[in-house]
Amino acid sequence: MLEISDLATAYGKIEALKGVSVSARSGEVTCLLGPNGAGKSTLMLTLSGILKPKRGSVKFEGEELIGKTPAEIVSRGLALVPENRLVFPALTVRENLMAGAYRRRDTAAIRSDIDAMFGRFPRLGERAAQMAGTLSGGEQQMLAVARALMSRPRLLLMDEPSVGLAPLVVAEIFRIIRQLHAEGVSIFLVEQNAHMALKVAQHFYLLEQGLVTFSGTPGELAEEDVIQRAYLGRQRAA
Amino acid sequence: MLELLQLTLDGLLDGSAYALVGLGLSLTFGGLRRLNLAYGATAMLAAYVGAWLHARHGAPVWLVAMSVVACAALIGWYVERLCFAGTRDETIRPASGPGAPVAGADGREVVALASSFAIWMQLEQLAVNLLPRHLNLFPSLAVERNWFVGELMIRPDRVVLALVSIGLTLGLAAWLERTRTGLSWRATADLGTAAHLVGMPVPKLQTIGFAVACALSGIAAFLVLSLDGQVTPMFGMWMLLKGLVVAMLGGLGSVRGVLRGGLLLGLVESYAQALLGAQGREFATYALLLAVLMWPRPMREERAVSSGVTR
Repeated sequence: MLEISDLATAYGKIEALKGVSVSARSGEVTCLLGPNGAGKSTLMLTLSGILKPKRGSVKFEGEELIGKTPAEIVSRGLALVPENRLVFPALTVRENLMAGAYRRRDTAAIRSDIDAMFGRFPRLGERAAQMAGTLSGGEQQMLAVARALMSRPRLLLMDEPSVGLAPLVVAEIFRIIRQLHAEGVSIFLVEQNAHMALKVAQHFYLLEQGLVTFSGTPGELAEEDVIQRAYLGRQRAA
Repeated sequence: MLELLQLTLDGLLDGSAYALVGLGLSLTFGGLRRLNLAYGATAMLAAYVGAWLHARHGAPVWLVAMSVVACAALIGWYVERLCFAGTRDETIRPASGPGAPVAGADGREVVALASSFAIWMQLEQLAVNLLPRHLNLFPSLAVERNWFVGELMIRPDRVVLALVSIGLTLGLAAWLERTRTGLSWRATADLGTAAHLVGMPVPKLQTIGFAVACALSGIAAFLVLSLDGQVTPMFGMWMLLKGLVVAMLGGLGSVRGVLRGGLLLGLVESYAQALLGAQGREFATYALLLAVLMWPRPMREERAVSSGVTR
């Protein structure tokens, strides 16, 4: 479904991604693990068209995404739940959801989708007319997920949905990921929390210092010291 | 008593004109988080084109009105291309890490501010070259007779200006709140990166919004100048100063706030002029601005920079 090959993105002279090749299959939860500064968010922003890569290709259902604007990428069925949530703080919860459906024109279906989101996330329904900036961190994360789903994506990109949240809220987020997976939504998840990711993902990658250093199933992940490296970064031998 | 009523009425009529003057400036700031210093000069040059059409080619009033608004939009587009498009927050930078803005601000804002000041000077020079005399005739709406309600005197063309101002302000606020495009303008203003992520055409929205704001300044310029029947190069400075004060009183970036700020300024000026004379009028303007900016915290945070475009 998603084929990333030899993708390199730089901030000025600093190369954050040094040629990354990753693929995500339809109907699966694919998880990219990695410590802070490995380039995880850079990868997500490049996939969304916010950052322009130096080289490489991203094929989504056979179509090249590099060179397309963020709007065109959303229209093709990719939606990002960004790091730090990035909900519109001065818009209401309902307006945030309407913004998520910006590329769609089917007004009636948008309205019923908003109701469906309020069914899935009752807390958001209770706060429909409240400014998103007044929500708690966990509620903002739910809103960010709901907003991304409003574009009816074929592949949902999630950038560290658990970061900065209380354990109970993290459990709730992962319950939602499992639920979405059960409903057939394809998900490409970037995480640092390997233990939680192990419960939801079918395939894993490890990103370290801009390079993919591991690819395998949850079983293979457990055999190696990948989990430790995901948290701590590579332990260089002296 | 009658005098007080007349002062209040004059203040409210003046105030609604001020609101219209500040509307475009506030809309630009709300959408781009950038201050356009060429705002007044844009409207002034557009008005000069109108005065030139009227004086040299005998254009009728309606044609002058339309060309002032169209020219303001066109000049606005030129200012946007030159000063703001290049310094636009393309959000091709991450929220953290290398290349991230510090405390929400970076050098681009200063570049936009400084270059719009340079364009202000350029536009003013263009106007002087078009009509070299300091004072130029501007067509008026040709309303000779004043209305009297009891003993209160009302100029009909000032009522027209007040109605246009209130209608445009409330209409624009409703449009921003209720339509899909309005939502995308507010979303872009609120958080540009997220607006990109949900697929909004952010650069296009900003260019169109800027031109619309300048067209509004053209409407304001035409109506205000048609009251005076004359235009000077100083009019740009006047538009910018009054617009800035009004926009700050109402909360920079807030559309409805412009109406509040305009009416407040109009009333204060009207009373100050009666009490202290013409000098007192200007004094009151800046005293009021200073007072609002130095007001105790909670109110100031709400006022100085409004977080929502319409709130």
